[in-house]
Amino acid sequence: MSPDVASAAPDLARFPLLLRAAHIVAGRYACAVPLISIRNLTKRYGSSITALDGLSLDIEPGIVGLVGSNGAGKSTLLKILLGLIGATSGEATVLDLDVRTRGTDIRQRVGYMPEHDCLPPDATATDFVSHMALISGLPRTAARERTAEVLRHVGLYEERYRAIGGYSTGMKQRVKLAQALVHDPRLLLLDEPTNGLDPTGRDEMLELIHRIGVEFGIAIIVATHLLGEIERVGSHLVAIEGGRLLRSAPLGEFIEQTGTLAVEVDEGGAALAERLAADGLAVLVDGRAVLVDVADGRPYDLVRDAVADLGLPLVRIERRRHRLEDLFRDAPIDAPATPGLTSGSAAAGGPP
Amino acid sequence: MTDPLTAVTPVAGANGPTGSIYDIGYRRYEGTRLGRGHAIRSLFFHSLRSSFGLGRGGRAKIAPIILGILALLPAVAIVAALTLFAQFGGGTEFSDQVPIRYDTYAGTISTIVVLFCAAQAPELFGRDQRFGVLALYFARALRRSDYALARIAGFIAALLILELVPQIILFLGRVLLTTDIPKAIGDDLESVAPVLAQSALAAGLFGGVSMVVSAFTPRRAYAVAGIIALFTIPNVVAGIVVGLGSSTIGTWLTLISPTSILDGTNAFLFDTRLDSDFFFVDLPGIAFVAAAGVGIVGSIAIAVRRFARIAT
Repeated sequence: MSPDVASAAPDLARFPLLLRAAHIVAGRYACAVPLISIRNLTKRYGSSITALDGLSLDIEPGIVGLVGSNGAGKSTLLKILLGLIGATSGEATVLDLDVRTRGTDIRQRVGYMPEHDCLPPDATATDFVSHMALISGLPRTAARERTAEVLRHVGLYEERYRAIGGYSTGMKQRVKLAQALVHDPRLLLLDEPTNGLDPTGRDEMLELIHRIGVEFGIAIIVATHLLGEIERVGSHLVAIEGGRLLRSAPLGEFIEQTGTLAVEVDEGGAALAERLAADGLAVLVDGRAVLVDVADGRPYDLVRDAVADLGLPLVRIERRRHRLEDLFRDAPIDAPATPGLTSGSAAAGGPP
Repeated sequence: MTDPLTAVTPVAGANGPTGSIYDIGYRRYEGTRLGRGHAIRSLFFHSLRSSFGLGRGGRAKIAPIILGILALLPAVAIVAALTLFAQFGGGTEFSDQVPIRYDTYAGTISTIVVLFCAAQAPELFGRDQRFGVLALYFARALRRSDYALARIAGFIAALLILELVPQIILFLGRVLLTTDIPKAIGDDLESVAPVLAQSALAAGLFGGVSMVVSAFTPRRAYAVAGIIALFTIPNVVAGIVVGLGSSTIGTWLTLISPTSILDGTNAFLFDTRLDSDFFFVDLPGIAFVAAAGVGIVGSIAIAVRRFARIAT
């Protein structure tokens, strides 16, 4: 259950002993209940809009990226998990508490950072965060202590007695994070935490999220439409689109090598593709690159011979890696070229 | 990003110069966690404080301070006059003749209370909607109805303070400036129940109505206008209907006007006659109390319903 293990999972393959330990830990946790369990969750607004469509998924502790384009159902899912809105059908548990009946208990154990602005401009960060701590059930003294501590953790110690209205966007995002963290939740739900931040602010926020997940040991779900952010901080990725699960897997599996070989030539790409196709390979042209399916070891020699025979200026030959963007791209590359992303592996995934 | 907590901070402590405190970073909270009741109480007191501008910026305090002083002014002026009169050897006859008494105080300051409502009620409900803070409240142990009730109760408590503190000053002045203090206390004791009842009805009705208006708009200006309108227009409408000749309908129509209702309950509770220039003078006293009760319960119910449905 250690978040260290979970977040480091992609690198563990290099350390077999650690990997075994991780499996034991993960296995022990799996015997208990998952952090979040979602079964056939559907949410419709009216009769026309379907925000979630039969979503089933287990989420384990760690830093989990919940990615999807705008309107994919991320915010709706977070709100259902908090018990803020009811699902049309299906069920979900958070920390083994049913979202339909134990919403109050869930919200006491979970911190929530909404996407939109949620701060009163005329209060100071200290006043506001400690007020939120009281509402979260902390006694007065504890609320004050935790407020000072959490504001320091998010890097707002100097400015904490100034009114929030005068803060920069980055500082406001930190206050939003602080109020979600002040009652020491077991799970943090962050909805687009880097919204509106400049590159530096974004880096700092991501670093903060990483620290909260790894050092503080708090499970985090980050909803975002920016895949690059998840690549940097996440350990596990859940991709949804149109309210359906696209894929749930450890981050490493999303960016592993594909079965596609990219051959880049300065000119003569079309001729090369023609020749390789004549040799019986599955070929696609993608800009300057010719993409070749490497189901067996055969293509390397054929590519070498083809390039040599045609006398083409070869730039590079490389195995393509999946990029997270591929998940959401409307398949400009055909399915045989990217076998790793077909729906076969899109089953609801568990821990690494 | 540098963080002071991740740095090792050597401190010469009780262990001598070799002892040092290593900051261990994030600390879990293992203490007590109080539940929903604590959250409701905290929000109640937060609303009470916010009503007077406490815990907010300096500008937020201007309106409540001015209106608070205005509400106190009649009581302070009377006590000052009584003091002067007592110094010149006067007896109690003066204090019985002054126009500002327990049975007139609520009416005297009702305009100030209305202005206080218009200025402060939108600050409680409107701000939370305007700045999206509602989402944070609802993401905690509070239920939506808890939120609405705690906010309204906090505001009504603030109004109660606004109503009662001047009358307590009035009481202290009247009692302490007489020669026979026990007798003076005895004389005033019979006013305690009506004072409390009238103040509670006024705070409840003014507070409930102004909070329900501000629950429906995040825009401060709309809420202020709406509150003032609700406290003035019904009276005018009733007056027009009476002027048009339908005096019975017009008279009963006054029961939609919060200020008229409270004039009526005041006369009923203190057992005084309404001035004959009130056209609703002939309504039974209990009708006013019933109308006040309906107004309070109704407005709170509407506000709770509003927050049960509001989207965050």
